[in-house]
Amino acid sequence: MQIGAFALKRKQWEPFAFASPSLVLIALVIVFPLVYAFYLSLQNFDLSVGPEYEYVGGKNYVEAVFQDQRFLGSVWNTAIIIAPSLAIELLLGLGLALLLGRVIRGRPIITALLAIPAMVSPVMGGMAWRMLFGVKYGAINNLGRQLGILDVYFDWFGSSFISIVAVVLVEIWHNTPFMMLVLLAGLQSIPQELYDSAKVDGATAWQSFWSITLPLLKFTMAVGVMIRLIDLTKLFGLIFILTFGGPGGATETVAFNTYLVGFKDFRMSYASALSYVIVGGVLVLTLAFLWVQRLREARAG
Amino acid sequence: MAIAIERSRVSARRRNRYRARRWIGHALTYLGLAAALFFFLGPFFWIVTTSLKGNEDFFAYPPAWIPTPPSLAHYAALFTRSSGARYFTNSMVISSLSMLAALAVSLPTAYSIARWRFGGGFLSVLLLVLRMLPAIALIIPIYIMYKMFGLTNSYLGLVIIYTVVYIPFAVWLMVGFIRDFPIEIEEAAMIDGCSRLRALVQVVVPIIAPGLAVVALFAFIATWNEFLFAVVLTGIETKTMMVLVTSFTSGGTDAFYGEASASVVLGVLPAFAIAFILQRYLVKGLALGGTKG
Repeated sequence: MQIGAFALKRKQWEPFAFASPSLVLIALVIVFPLVYAFYLSLQNFDLSVGPEYEYVGGKNYVEAVFQDQRFLGSVWNTAIIIAPSLAIELLLGLGLALLLGRVIRGRPIITALLAIPAMVSPVMGGMAWRMLFGVKYGAINNLGRQLGILDVYFDWFGSSFISIVAVVLVEIWHNTPFMMLVLLAGLQSIPQELYDSAKVDGATAWQSFWSITLPLLKFTMAVGVMIRLIDLTKLFGLIFILTFGGPGGATETVAFNTYLVGFKDFRMSYASALSYVIVGGVLVLTLAFLWVQRLREARAG
Repeated sequence: MAIAIERSRVSARRRNRYRARRWIGHALTYLGLAAALFFFLGPFFWIVTTSLKGNEDFFAYPPAWIPTPPSLAHYAALFTRSSGARYFTNSMVISSLSMLAALAVSLPTAYSIARWRFGGGFLSVLLLVLRMLPAIALIIPIYIMYKMFGLTNSYLGLVIIYTVVYIPFAVWLMVGFIRDFPIEIEEAAMIDGCSRLRALVQVVVPIIAPGLAVVALFAFIATWNEFLFAVVLTGIETKTMMVLVTSFTSGGTDAFYGEASASVVLGVLPAFAIAFILQRYLVKGLALGGTKG
């Protein structure tokens, strides 16, 4: 009896002991700072004014959501960058996955080569493209001149519209490979027998794509898009190096705007409030993601 | 007789047509993939050749696409003038330490979840939410706290934040590996007098080592690529490669194209290596790992 009770106690204590190092670290380095940030967001802590601050309640949140044109503009900019990026990444990724599915020899090596941009840091990829877009020595202007397409040294970051196009292009370059990998995995999980029997029934390639591949790939696509959507709300490094938010704030994303408010204007409290507004948005997206995944599991099981 | 010949001729023609169509299909497939390879790898090709160009190739018009002869002058300049060697070492040290720490801390947690279902569904949802959490939400309080404790501009500060940010992903991947491991082997070891911890370290770890290596490499590359924490929390001595690269953009990129491209080459090298080593795990790793932004 004594031993049994001891064993039970030990059993209850052991799982917690094993999990505790990371739980303690997460509590100290993630949960506590988040609580602290919420506390800060209710003050008016501004390092450019001084180290003293006082409680101001929800003032920062009201300013962020209703008055701050720059922040609201950055929400709009983020959406403007996200929408075309997601659509093109999905289409291009699907196209590449379908092409890769048809390759018989050398598929692993081609897949790995195509996947490389997704492994590279946004800053490094952004720098490579910044240099490609370079006005005088950039490859794009020089190639364009050599081929006779361009007749001037074009400034790709001179106007807001072309800057946004350039950012979207680099983002597509950076993350289409991810979409491709996800969709390729989805394609390979579709049983070959379905295609064989469709062929026996006289279906054309187009028909079997439309009524086998697409319906069965729908949820994989949804998951891929959700993951990219959530990650795109954090778009920062690419902007930092490609445009630094310019020209005239046209490519300032929510994350980049918050960074500037915190570390250029040093308005710590206000930046915390902004980050909480962003977290709220991302949380909604994450819950949507969980819901999609649950739906998918319900379908599969 | 005549009919039979006619029939075989028809089927031969049909077969030829079928073959031709298949051949065209293959040609188009590889053509499409070649175009994709050009788009996705072209920038790297150009960066590598630019980093190897001597000055006369660099300013040549029409541009020299292949440097003749290749020169390492830009790398030498990067290592001396811009202290590239130091920043490369910083990145290496910080990434390696964070990787090891993340593994050490996450393994027992993953074990606890895999074997005892510790935390139930709540913990797995929490881990997912933490993974989705934007780094921008942490950077302000972390910056203020680090200022207070004197952790800015130090290896330790970056290693701590990278380790913890990486825990959710490491745990999530490891739970899968441990679940696949038969519990009987562990129980046999424990009947022989091993403690739970010793069974984990001496019996489970060696067998799931390949899985741990996958987690480790993803942790390494995620840390290597991280930018937001690095740019805010590092100073002159502790800059990483990612922060070094941004220094070439201020004051006009054009002046230091060579050094900038050399630093990009060094900065993407680990990503290339790991993309090839981890081919099979890329989807999982990219979906749930990686500090994106």
